[in-house]
Amino acid sequence: MKILVPIKRVPDPATTIRVLPDGSGIATDNVKWVINPFCEIAIEEALRIKEKQTGEVILLTVGQTTWQEQLRTGLAMGADRAILVKTDAALDQLAIARIIAKVAGDEKPDLVILGKQAIDDDSNQVGQIVAETLAWPQATFASKVEFAGDKCTVIREVDGGLETIAFKLPGLITTDLRLNEPRYASLPGIMKARKKELKEVAADSLGVDLAPKLKIKRLDAPPKRQAGRKVASVEELVQVLHTEAKAI
Amino acid sequence: MIDFELSDEQKMIRDSVGAFATEQIRPAARPADETGAIAADVVTQAWQLGLVSGSIPEQFGGGGDIRSAITGAIVAEELGYGDIGIGMHVLAPRLLAFPVVEMGTDAQKERMLKRFTGANFAAASAAVIEPHFDSDLTAMQTTAKRDGAAWILNGVKCCVPLAADSETILVYAATDAQKGFAGVDGFLVARNAAGLKIAEREKNMGLKGLATYSLTLENCRVGADTRLGGDKGINFSRLMSEARIAIAAFGVGLMRAAFDYARDYAKERKAFGMFIAQKQAIAFILADMAIEIDAARLLVWEAASRVDKGDDALKESYLAKNYVAASALKVADNAVQVLGGHGYVRDHPVEMWLRNARGLAAIDGIATV
Repeated sequence: MKILVPIKRVPDPATTIRVLPDGSGIATDNVKWVINPFCEIAIEEALRIKEKQTGEVILLTVGQTTWQEQLRTGLAMGADRAILVKTDAALDQLAIARIIAKVAGDEKPDLVILGKQAIDDDSNQVGQIVAETLAWPQATFASKVEFAGDKCTVIREVDGGLETIAFKLPGLITTDLRLNEPRYASLPGIMKARKKELKEVAADSLGVDLAPKLKIKRLDAPPKRQAGRKVASVEELVQVLHTEAKAI
Repeated sequence: MIDFELSDEQKMIRDSVGAFATEQIRPAARPADETGAIAADVVTQAWQLGLVSGSIPEQFGGGGDIRSAITGAIVAEELGYGDIGIGMHVLAPRLLAFPVVEMGTDAQKERMLKRFTGANFAAASAAVIEPHFDSDLTAMQTTAKRDGAAWILNGVKCCVPLAADSETILVYAATDAQKGFAGVDGFLVARNAAGLKIAEREKNMGLKGLATYSLTLENCRVGADTRLGGDKGINFSRLMSEARIAIAAFGVGLMRAAFDYARDYAKERKAFGMFIAQKQAIAFILADMAIEIDAARLLVWEAASRVDKGDDALKESYLAKNYVAASALKVADNAVQVLGGHGYVRDHPVEMWLRNARGLAAIDGIATV
């Protein structure tokens, strides 16, 4: 099976994020960049599918030259080749989804699998837009994926429980947290990654409309959480919840 | 030319092994300290990272990567950041595999290396240290004497990791007591060889997850084909340099763990209305710890870069190992100090790291890069 895995580069979840004073973005000095954790789960799932059947796992990302690092990490985990669609512009989700759909149209994978959302902007829409653009079936928030021939069965995590749906390939899956635990890149895998193909394509050469429809006006850090306080009795607690917190 | 920049591959190795050490090894460290046993799934996962098989030549099923002492030092530091006892356990097979890769005969490679390229952890070990007061690797009391085509080994060794589980143990013995390092040879001795007796597991102050044993060789007769490198023998000085670099690198990882823990604690713990990290008495301690870590790592990297260039690194590796043995103890002790009363209780790992750090001075030759 040929599988396309679009991935995103995000700040390490362990990094302390600081918003720039003018609200234009976050301070990127001393930030460690990693593969978005949900995208890592997508790579892992693609590798497991490939190991069970046969096929090819192709990584794709849209960004600057430095994003190669994350593609190399994915190659070290075991992906076969990678494509970097290069741009210095800050593209919105729609433009990213259009690029992914364009590459999917060229590469003709059987499956596109990607993270349900990126942990930086949490927008949760790229997968859905790609599937709509391609007019492919989509199964979002997957916690289990199984194949029988060209039929794919996905268990989805939805509010209040699990939902099982099935579709015929080609199709698109977005991964939820409990789908798998991604592997660590092995030492031999890392050494082999250097020799694998990493193709660069200029974003504006794809003939895709990249004009942003969405503009981030400003970022603000969440307000500092106040310290808690102790109350002496249940009566006082009820009183405070009523008069101050206005919760009851 | 001097360049401290890691290659892209080395950075990825550091990140991957570092993530594994933080997420898998660290949580397994206290249970290993308490029970003396390391969780099997952590050992298996570590094995699958290819820490040993990656450097076995491709013809024996390995990754075929060129070995590098610098890369080895990076790996050991990251593993040590998780836990040095578990790190030494998962790297122990290198003690036999790597000298065979580097100095073994073709027949020895053929015989020994395949077992290290399977899916499951294959224990192996080396016997270096001797349990007497003036233990000196240049004047080993374990001897190997030729008897026709065979060799007869006599002596006592201690601190042999995983000896009871290793199919083969690389035993170092003096073939010519007058020649110092040059008079030492290695012998690939099967665990069940007649005349080799493995004693009860040692009970240690720290590194409690790492199973170590003493063993006795009493007229242990082994074939000529067990002598590592055949008639050419080995370069024991180089092997010991590699061992000391590894142990020192483990120590750097331990220091970093202790520093990070103490720093984070100091930034959260309030006393007299302020975070203790803002008090000079604590801030100075933390700064000194940070200096020790960088200084120690530079010593390790200098020794490792000499090994990688093929130069003699006996002095540099010895300096690195001795420096780390002292400074790891100091840094771990400082971490206990920064945590105050909390440092002394087992709810925090720093008391364990202090006990483990003490082991770095006592051990030699039980890890390699």
